[in-house]
Amino acid sequence: MKIRLPLILVLVTGIVGALPFIIPHGIAQSFDNEFRNSILRIIAAFSLVLGVGSIVRHHTYKIKWKRENWQYSWILLISLVITSIIGLFGGIEGTGALPTSVRGFSFDIQTIFVYMAIPLGATMFAMLSFFMASAAYRAFRARNFEATLLLIAAFIMMLGSVPLSSYIFPRLPGFAEWILTVPNTAAKRGMGFGIALGSLATSLKIILGIERGWLGGTK
Amino acid sequence: MKNSWEKLAKLDRRVIYFLLLLVVVVPIIFPFRLKPKAMPPVEKLFNHIDTIPDDKCLVISVDYTPDTEPELHPMAIALLRHAFAQRKKVGVLCISLLGLGLAQDALATVSEEFNSRAQTNADSIISGRDFVFWGWQTPPLVPILGMGENIAKVFPLDYYGNRTDTLPIMQKIKNYNDVAILVSIAGSAVPFWYITYAQTSFGVKIGAGSTAVQAADFYPYLNSGQVTGMMSGMKGGAEYEQLVEERLGVYGRRRATDAMSSQTAAHIWIMITIIIGNIGYFVMRRRKK
Repeated sequence: MKIRLPLILVLVTGIVGALPFIIPHGIAQSFDNEFRNSILRIIAAFSLVLGVGSIVRHHTYKIKWKRENWQYSWILLISLVITSIIGLFGGIEGTGALPTSVRGFSFDIQTIFVYMAIPLGATMFAMLSFFMASAAYRAFRARNFEATLLLIAAFIMMLGSVPLSSYIFPRLPGFAEWILTVPNTAAKRGMGFGIALGSLATSLKIILGIERGWLGGTK
Repeated sequence: MKNSWEKLAKLDRRVIYFLLLLVVVVPIIFPFRLKPKAMPPVEKLFNHIDTIPDDKCLVISVDYTPDTEPELHPMAIALLRHAFAQRKKVGVLCISLLGLGLAQDALATVSEEFNSRAQTNADSIISGRDFVFWGWQTPPLVPILGMGENIAKVFPLDYYGNRTDTLPIMQKIKNYNDVAILVSIAGSAVPFWYITYAQTSFGVKIGAGSTAVQAADFYPYLNSGQVTGMMSGMKGGAEYEQLVEERLGVYGRRRATDAMSSQTAAHIWIMITIIIGNIGYFVMRRRKK
């Protein structure tokens, strides 16, 4: 039963989820509507509880057993509690029941997001540019014909994606656009068809219970 | 001499990092503005939004997160400037939870810009009348498909807690039939979900705003007409800002255009390092032979 029940659930929900796309009848459509608007939302609400619960449990254990970098878990848990309280009771921009401003210093959820989450997130992503620059220097070597072709395409795209190129070579941005529109599209379409057929086959195997890897490796 | 070529082929990564930092920071302090020329995908998007009829609206799906904010936020701001300048009705939603704060910031920034210049109430940009911020709904399939039937049912309350069915703007926006174009701005696969479900099932026009690295993935859909127009990367945002300023005379801070000087310098520096690396590589290879 432990295996059969999930398999039956997947079979039923898989078919129920796919049918409304091919059956325009009112009953199929309204059932699908209800399924999405009510059942899926309830499941999503449970996933929030599951997500918060598992992150709290994971970091509590980390602190308890003093695992590597356990100190950071304190920061995560404290931040989670503080932002949750501010978000739940402080309103979006300090309009809630909880006061979120002291002598002109605001710490409402929008202020925290704009002045902490955005710069931190953007900084993490910006670090990529350093690694990419270093990787480009090391990897882009004209070792053979294919590598040379890649190198030339990369140069055209890099120049084409800055306005300076239209001042130096007026036709370069158009050529870069052509690379994206024609050769890139041709390759992407071929890959897209392959991926779509592969996804369809895998989905069918999962729905029909042939592929059971998602059950956690149970035979 | 042998050593110098070898050094050239094997530059220390700290040197590359430091010089990259310089070429990014210096143009921020001393910017040089380069006028971007709009490419066809950006122009198509602009023209489509420009010709939205009065009975239809623009929907912006803010699906990016803080990590891609520098690249994608200027797009949302430019779109809002365009729509508000022409008094087009705007609906904003988020598929990504982290998009909420970014959408709120974009709406607050642009509406403040317009309201500071407004002479009368009619000139002002007011939530519930000129735009509606529906907020976030999960899982993604619920809003993407549900909006085709009834938007107010998918979002019973707006982001500020008002009942959406009572808002004046919502009296004319019922479902995708009332949406002229939906522009999904994301550094992820969200625009593809809109293409797969909203465009295919309901025929709603889709526009995209994507990071530069992801832009190539959209071209097959752009060619097939499933994506009406697109802004790709910081350059796409700068091109849209240029069109808004040039054609509508709407002025404001142009973050993408300002950042183009840094991006230009960084790209040139990366190209120089590649050339240096190749020179060193070829000299060493010849010597080995």
